[in-house]
Amino acid sequence: MATVEERVKAITANKLGIDEIKLEDSFTADLGAESVDSIELVAMFEEEFGIEMDEDAALAVQTVGDAITFITKVCKEQGVEIEE
Amino acid sequence: MSKVRKKHRLVDAKKPNLVENIFPYSLPPLIRLENPVVEYIDGKPVEFDFEAVKNRPIFISDTTFRDGQQARPPYTLEQMVHIYDLLARLSGPNGVVRQTEFFLYTKNDRETLDQCRELGHTYPECTGWIRAVKGDFRLVKEAGLKETGMLTSSSDYHIFHKLKFRSRKECIDSYCEVVDAAFEAGVRPRCHLEDVTRADIEGFVLPFVDRLMEMSEQVPEELSVKIRLCDTMGFGVSYPGGELPRSIPKLIYKLNRECGVTSDRLEWHGHNDFHKVHVNGGAAWLYGCDFVNTTLFGFGERTGNPPLEGAIFEYIALKGDLCGIDTMVITELADYMRSIGLPIPDNYPFAGRAFNTTRAGIHAGGLRQYEQIYNIFDTTRLLGRPPRVAITDKSGADGVAHWINEFFGLKGDDRINKIRVHKLARWVIDQYDVEGRLTAISDQELEVKAKEFFPDYWEKYKGK
Repeated sequence: MATVEERVKAITANKLGIDEIKLEDSFTADLGAESVDSIELVAMFEEEFGIEMDEDAALAVQTVGDAITFITKVCKEQGVEIEE
Repeated sequence: MSKVRKKHRLVDAKKPNLVENIFPYSLPPLIRLENPVVEYIDGKPVEFDFEAVKNRPIFISDTTFRDGQQARPPYTLEQMVHIYDLLARLSGPNGVVRQTEFFLYTKNDRETLDQCRELGHTYPECTGWIRAVKGDFRLVKEAGLKETGMLTSSSDYHIFHKLKFRSRKECIDSYCEVVDAAFEAGVRPRCHLEDVTRADIEGFVLPFVDRLMEMSEQVPEELSVKIRLCDTMGFGVSYPGGELPRSIPKLIYKLNRECGVTSDRLEWHGHNDFHKVHVNGGAAWLYGCDFVNTTLFGFGERTGNPPLEGAIFEYIALKGDLCGIDTMVITELADYMRSIGLPIPDNYPFAGRAFNTTRAGIHAGGLRQYEQIYNIFDTTRLLGRPPRVAITDKSGADGVAHWINEFFGLKGDDRINKIRVHKLARWVIDQYDVEGRLTAISDQELEVKAKEFFPDYWEKYKGK
């Protein structure tokens, strides 16, 4: 199974059409995600990991690295198996 | 002016102070006034008691069928009767909309008046409107009306250039003959001082009103002359310190306290040529006129009159109570007026289709979190009009989420969050970014998409 980092990066790259994604990249400032892109990404992460995220908390995440940390935490809270 | 520097200490708070004593939300924001209010008149300070308005018997009068009708093709008899019926419901049992006036010149005018009275409403009372011509009192008397307005123009523009009198004295004598005729006919005259905000107040208006008051002393109280101050061209100003003849405070003071026209016999009639019409009406109430004359949706000669529905909310704000007014009728009246071809702009306060519709995504976000942030009062309760969001490229996911929740009628925890509306939000953005659209998206288009993207909700809430 791919790691959370690999899965998050793959979804982000696919959605935003960017080849190289770094952990410190900001979704909006560096990767150019607009408002609707952000909620689409959250929806895609939820579907990918089979989790439900709090809207405000999820949309407050700024960087790819923070998203990985946040999703890992939610997966554990919701009893979803993941590869860290 | 000397400086009055003062340090202001932060009052930190963990809970919001929503200033609910002024913004109760269940009512329009209240207008709380502090005394004393001072105006310098003839070099002397004069105090006005604004706080008294809460308990003073102030009223709204209506001229939708007279001034309002001068600005549009005539209403049909059925339309006027229906509007009158709705006005009575709006007015409520306390008769806040106290009077409405009718033309009496045609058979249709008189039949309309009869049919309105046959409805049996106590308020609005029906009054007439005639020229200052003695013979016209026959019409008033035949119609069985107790009161009629009559045109008594007061500026030299009208006296000399319109009515062609040779002198002011000749003009006053002529007017007073008609007032006498009214007394003889047992009809209360309401003298409409046309163009008063452009008149010679000291040289003509006050001597004329003095004479009217002297004449009134000779007749029973119920016939005594009422005065309508007609700001025919919208020149009136409410600012303290304004000069006559444009000063509303000074005009009312002169008539009320110097000439002795009691407040219950004083009425303000404005026009909106300088965008002052509503505030001037409110000022007239505060400075001592018990009546403010209005039309539905402000529709009247040229730029219009004080909007009746605006006066209604001003009234509630000043009184701090609905006073029996059925504000929901405003929406019914607006729908009816639109159905018979009266154009009400979409952004028109209280009645336009989009008066409480936001287009900005950031405002939609505020609405979604806490309705009161961007809604003026509980428009759902008072007008049957929940705040709405118009969907454009500026609406954002917040706007789309607000729209979808309103559409399905979802409240509290049942509301759909904006992550769940991502497909619809994407469709909206693509309309502009991909399809090059330049117009707002209609409710009908969004409904089709709502069915496509939210089939479960559609089945549950719209399926029947």
